[in-house]
Amino acid sequence: MIYLDYSATTPVSFEVLDTFNRTTKDFIGNPNSLHKLGVKSQELITSATKQIADICNIMPREVIYTSNATEANNLALIGVMMANYHQGKHLIVSKLEHPSIYKICDYLESNGFEVSYVDNDEDGLINFDHLKKLVREDTVLVSICAVNSETGVRQPLKMIRQIIKKENNNTLLHSDFTQAIGKVSVNFNDVDLASLSGHKFFAPKGIGMLYRNEKVKIKPLIYGSSKSNELHPGTPAVALIASFSKALRIALTDLEKKERFVTRLNEKLVKEFSVHKDILINQTKYSIPHILNISLLNIKPETFIHAMEEKDIYLSTNTACSSGDLSTSVMAIYNDKKRATTTIRISISHITTSDEINQFISQFNSVYNNLNNLTSKEA
Amino acid sequence: MEKLIIIKYAELNTKKSNINYFIKILKDNIKKSLDGIDANIHFDKGRMFIESSENNYNIILNKIKNIFGIHEIIIGYKLLDRDLEVIKSTVVDLIKDENISTFKVITKRSDKNYPFDSMEISRKVGGAVLKAYSNSKVDVHNPEKEIYLEVRLDAVYIYFNREKGIGGYPVGSLGKGILMLSGGIDSPVAGYLAMKRGIKLEALYFESPPHTSDQAKNKVLELAKKLSSYNGEMKVHIINFTKIQEEIYKNIPHEYLITIMRRMMYRISMKVAKRNKCLAIINGESVGQVASQTLTSMQVINEVINMPVIRPVACLDKLEIIDIAKKIDTYETSILPFEDCCTIFVPEHPVINPLSDKCEEYEKLIDYEELINDAVINHNVVKISNKNKYEDLL
Repeated sequence: MIYLDYSATTPVSFEVLDTFNRTTKDFIGNPNSLHKLGVKSQELITSATKQIADICNIMPREVIYTSNATEANNLALIGVMMANYHQGKHLIVSKLEHPSIYKICDYLESNGFEVSYVDNDEDGLINFDHLKKLVREDTVLVSICAVNSETGVRQPLKMIRQIIKKENNNTLLHSDFTQAIGKVSVNFNDVDLASLSGHKFFAPKGIGMLYRNEKVKIKPLIYGSSKSNELHPGTPAVALIASFSKALRIALTDLEKKERFVTRLNEKLVKEFSVHKDILINQTKYSIPHILNISLLNIKPETFIHAMEEKDIYLSTNTACSSGDLSTSVMAIYNDKKRATTTIRISISHITTSDEINQFISQFNSVYNNLNNLTSKEA
Repeated sequence: MEKLIIIKYAELNTKKSNINYFIKILKDNIKKSLDGIDANIHFDKGRMFIESSENNYNIILNKIKNIFGIHEIIIGYKLLDRDLEVIKSTVVDLIKDENISTFKVITKRSDKNYPFDSMEISRKVGGAVLKAYSNSKVDVHNPEKEIYLEVRLDAVYIYFNREKGIGGYPVGSLGKGILMLSGGIDSPVAGYLAMKRGIKLEALYFESPPHTSDQAKNKVLELAKKLSSYNGEMKVHIINFTKIQEEIYKNIPHEYLITIMRRMMYRISMKVAKRNKCLAIINGESVGQVASQTLTSMQVINEVINMPVIRPVACLDKLEIIDIAKKIDTYETSILPFEDCCTIFVPEHPVINPLSDKCEEYEKLIDYEELINDAVINHNVVKISNKNKYEDLL
């Protein structure tokens, strides 16, 4: 099997799975219980959270566990807009967000909030002038992802925050870090809120996190627990939290070295795809190397994905969460419908091998030539 | 007195000498659907009876409600002691908690030697009810409660409520047919209507990987599962159509793509049908709905085979088909957005009035006989039943 869909999800790493198993077996107590089994579980969560806070350069009380990044995005956008409605009802998002952000915006709009969509330039970067114009006195929050899930375009969050704060010092910046964390370095102090998803960096599915600067006012979305975890009530998922912490620590180790390796693999692929005149490469100078998006033009992406699947090679059409639709990000950057409806995404990681890339290329070429011959012959 | 389910047959009274054949198949179908439930089924020419323990009756009702060949399902009571006084006291006892205001007694007497005739029995039992419940009155036109008595040779049957069955002939009583099941809205409805006329179905699905996905196939298997609640276990023949479809696409002028594709599908369907002793092909074609369903197209497509093609929804409007699809719970599955063989490689302007000569000429461009034989010989069969089996998932 050649797995090239790491941006959809990653396999749980051996060490992390070991942590999960040991925690599940040895920490049976409910962290809310008074007895020593409960205390033991609570202590493990406290240590895990402290570790996360330390490596992210934030404070433990700024860590909120969620089930996934979508939930973190919900808590960030809805929670902040609801808690700060006295300040205003305006929210700005980019055109390069994960679909979950747009669904949340729809919800907010139907509840009396106003959403503006900031343009991007042709290289995928946020258009700073437009952003400047959009920020108003009643703008409570701006949400811009650190790395776009479809094209890998990475945003300069520090600069974006400066622009926002210059226009309105009270406006907060949220960023979906899902596609960035563990791939490229991000600075939590560049933003006020950030969403993370464990399964994108070799932790199990079912755990995510919201970083919230302690000064940010936020309203819970669900109710039912004590003060300590009021933003995500319920019995804490001890083993998932321990696994998340471990996976994050491993992911952030040797980050630059891993990124250099992935860059080499990316360059090899780009060189290969450039040979085909009917393939367009949707990568700008700001794209991270882990995500490589191309448009096949003459071939339906679903067909291509299934044809590769028959060779035991796994890719995706735009993002895993919206298969079959038009790629909104490619559309936002290139404004070309055919290009945006025929995208496939190859996403690689530091555990991808050169050998896998070579095998992939040879299978890609054979499948591509077959299908392209069939479908480009319009009668 | 014993509780039991009484089944009245649908439409079978038109069958004279071979009625037993139909009833026996109905009994077998009921028996199969009650697999695992301890129940005793017996029948005569007018009725079928299912006896089981009290806890099972609701489960049984639920299982037999989708069986064709049933006109009415009745929960009743069997009284072996046919003495009129016993009948009276039993009826009075059965309705003791109901506080009825108006009622009517309807009696059928198949044992003509019983000492009282139907009218007398009704009158006497009615009298007993009136006496027992002084607030009750007889109302023969619009009674609140109907009390049915059937006096038969072996026993007296008492019942109150009658539920409609779904009618039709018992599935299998008219032989087997093969349903071209595409995953759309029409073909499951066509299958349902064919089963209603007693045809036992096998289904046939054309897949075209990688142009069609496993999700599309699973959707069809899900539809087959829904149909199997009427059909009993259903065989689904899965034909790999990729090579044929790609050859057609590469070699045939595109306005004839769909016509030739359908001709190939018909040829394959007939071969699979014959190999599996199916006597007819059933499909969801509806006159005029798409280019391949004009009368000219149907004629040109149909001519490649010599076997009856039954098109149960041929003359229904789309909305009428959708109504049935919703009733039989296939609609929501049918509208899941996965591509099937008929939606990939769609030409912009398919021919509406194709010509046989042209089809034959174009078909010479591909070696279809061999491709078809290959597809038929190497096809997969999946057996689908509507029983849910839960096992360890890993």
